[in-house]
This record gives sequence, structure tokens and C-alpha cells, in this order.
Amino acid sequence: MANTKVAIIAANGSLFDAYKVFNVASAAAASDAEVGIFFTFEGLNLIHKEAHKNLPLPEGKEHFQEGFQKANVPSIEELVSMAEELNIKMIACQMTMDVMSLEKDDFVDGIEVGGAATFIDFAKDAHITLSF
Amino acid sequence: MDVTKVLDAKGLACPMPIVRTKKAMDELNSGDVLEVHATDKGAKSDLAAWTKSSGHELLKDTEEDEVLKFWIKKA
Repeated sequence: MANTKVAIIAANGSLFDAYKVFNVASAAAASDAEVGIFFTFEGLNLIHKEAHKNLPLPEGKEHFQEGFQKANVPSIEELVSMAEELNIKMIACQMTMDVMSLEKDDFVDGIEVGGAATFIDFAKDAHITLSF
Repeated sequence: MDVTKVLDAKGLACPMPIVRTKKAMDELNSGDVLEVHATDKGAKSDLAAWTKSSGHELLKDTEEDEVLKFWIKKA
């Protein structure tokens, strides 16, 4: 999978969304693909310094909390630091940050801030594009 | 089989077995064999797929008492 590029848009902010994004992204990066994720709107929660440690389960799905523990699924904190280790490019959407009055310092280390064009430039020659 | 390193990935859920295998593999040399132990049921197809996509060779895999074992030769 070297020379394979994966471009992901993370636009939602529940715990389920976080697992969808980070599991696929880290599996791709561990398979030597070049991976970039564009975090926009609620997706920004996934890399917000505080919010990513305590993401909500979707409404009505709270009972799955137990299942996550039982299945020994890694925490989102672990997955975020792994994403950094695996050199996954994480782009926070500038426009959403402006709307929500967020600064770069509000997010985990290792991210960059950019607009839609930054993501499009990364994704233009991607082999796999995903939106969550 | 001449095993260079054994990786215990038991108890770990997706995607950790793959990520740990990748990290362990990065430390080996071409031709070395990594033995991986996992209990994640998804690892059976995932490690086979990972081996294929990363260009290594899956020499053998077994399943005993719910522990999946894989022997992967580094490309």
C-alpha cells in the first residue's frame, strides 16, 4: 500500500464517528498508505484537546458504553496519539474554527489548520476517499 | 521455524493488532520472521490482508484455544 493515498473527511462528533475515522485511518497508515483527515464542523470534536477524551455516544445508544469496555477497544486518546505517531496528516477546518471561536491551541498537538482548498489539494490524487 | 521476534497482541481490539504488528515489523530486517499472537477474531482476515497490502509474506497461521497465531516474513 505504499504509494496509496487515503483522504478522509470527518464531519461528525460522536464516539461512534471517532472510531470510524481513527480505525480506518490508522489501519490505512499501518499499511503504509499516506493518510490525511480533514476535520470539519462536529468532526472538530475528535481532535479537540478536551472534547476528544469524552465524546458522547449517539442519542439512544448509551447502552453500548459497556460493550466498548468489554471489547477492550482502545480509547480515542490512544487512537489520536497513534494517528500522530503514524504520521497521519490532520487538518482542522479554519472556517469551522472561526464559527466556533476556536484557536489552534484548543486542539491536540500535531494538527495543522487549513481550509477546504488545503484538503482538496491533498485529496486530488487520492486512491481512496471517505467521508464520515 | 526460525522466529526473530514474538509479538503478544492478545486482548487487543481492532485496529491495535495491525498497528502493533506494523511497529514490530519496522524494527526487523528483510527475511526476518515475526510471530504474532492475537485474540481479536477480526485479526484472522485483517493480518492476512495487512500482510498482502504491505508486501510481506504470511508463512503460516493457526488457531488454538481462541488464540490466533501468525508467522510473517518481512519483505
